[in-house]
Amino acid sequence: MPIDWEPIWLTLRLASITTLLLLIIGLPLAGWLALSRFRLKPVVEAIISLPLVLPPSVVGFYLLLAFSPTGGLGGWLLRTVNVQLVFSFEGLVVASLLYSLPFMIHPIQAGLENLPASWREASYTLGQSPTRTLWRVLLPNCKPALLTGIVLSFAHTIGEFGLVMMIGGNLPGQTRVASIAIYDEVELLHFETAHTYAALLLGLSFAILLLVYGINKRVTV
Amino acid sequence: MIHIDITMPRLFAEGTGALQLQVALAPGSLTAVVGPSGSGKTTLLRVLAGLETPPTGRIDSNGTSWFDTSQRINLSPQQRSIGYVFQDTALFPNMSVRENIQYAAPSGQRQLADELIDATGLNSFINKKPTVLSGGQRQRVALARALVRRPQLLLLDEPFAALDPAAAQTLRQVLLDLHRTWGTTTLLVSHHDIDVQALADRVIRLVQGQIQADYRTEVGSSATFPRERIRRIDFEETHHQWVIETETTELRSTNPAWGQLKIGDLIEISWTPKAL
Repeated sequence: MPIDWEPIWLTLRLASITTLLLLIIGLPLAGWLALSRFRLKPVVEAIISLPLVLPPSVVGFYLLLAFSPTGGLGGWLLRTVNVQLVFSFEGLVVASLLYSLPFMIHPIQAGLENLPASWREASYTLGQSPTRTLWRVLLPNCKPALLTGIVLSFAHTIGEFGLVMMIGGNLPGQTRVASIAIYDEVELLHFETAHTYAALLLGLSFAILLLVYGINKRVTV
Repeated sequence: MIHIDITMPRLFAEGTGALQLQVALAPGSLTAVVGPSGSGKTTLLRVLAGLETPPTGRIDSNGTSWFDTSQRINLSPQQRSIGYVFQDTALFPNMSVRENIQYAAPSGQRQLADELIDATGLNSFINKKPTVLSGGQRQRVALARALVRRPQLLLLDEPFAALDPAAAQTLRQVLLDLHRTWGTTTLLVSHHDIDVQALADRVIRLVQGQIQADYRTEVGSSATFPRERIRRIDFEETHHQWVIETETTELRSTNPAWGQLKIGDLIEISWTPKAL
């Protein structure tokens, strides 16, 4: 049976878009968490970390309620910008962003917190703002942490199953990512096709990790 | 004039107490703060820089209030006109020497950065990363970087602590030359008498956060400097400076009086060589 490449491309597309958006959101957020003395910071950290401890089905259930066209957020999005997040690729991206957020934030925040405080203080005494200090001094000096955040987010998104199932279902070309396709093929007793998908994901994941850790080893400031 | 009047509860080696200071620093002065470890010297620098906030007090510089609890004024480190040389130099490893210095240079004043690179003798290393520099070279970069914004107050936290005698002497010379040229009001924390004697015009001795002694000195008046013979004396055309080499030390200065010295002369290894 010829293999359908669509789930693989869809998975890669979802992981790439999610990782890119997480990087854009995660850098300033991790920087704020690392540098801020905001009193309610633990609350923000707890919310961000929730997906680490909650079963994907729980996150998926609440997101399904929120994204539903009859729900508050879903209904508002449908009316104002005509976007439906349930059973759509866009919905998968939004759900993946929330679900993989701690995997981007935690390594970067830890990397920033491990840098000598005197670098940040020196930058401040040189008249530079916290934002410029973050971009010019702190982030360039924690490249391994950045790389770890990118890899973990990408790998975690590739491996999502429960959340995708809850939010996206199994729509070919829309939400049928590789992990869903494997499940589907096993249900249909198409073990050969399931094995092909699984082997592709395994090989792909290993290749990405190998590449990244190889690069990481050579990254010097 | 910089006025400091602060009270800050603090844990000292001997128990709890308070860092309590009322000091005025004259413009262009170089004041050494000495005292045992844990007596509050570094905390004083951090409070002046705005990196720590005392519960009560007042700091003003040339009529501008940096900190005043009665008026709820507390300028951020960015808003205070300070240069801070950290004990560990705090140079940014991702930037070259030139980038470290230019990072803080106000826009349109890159020339000032170049002047400081010249004055601190860093021309040969400008494209190198701080990690490959010696301790003395790193301290000179940190000094140049701290001065590039022309601060009203320069804070030096044990800049000579980790240096060998020759590197410390070179840095002392650079610091003194810059201080004479720029006249920046300077507060120097040091454990070494030779630094105090060679550089400071005033000494404040802190013990458990309190001023135990506050007296004026004559720069370079001490007779405790080592005496050595000149082994080499050259004039560097590129930097317009004299270079004197003795058995342990290399001294540099643009002072024309140095031209009168010759090989074999016995000199004091102090801030300026004096033939004996």
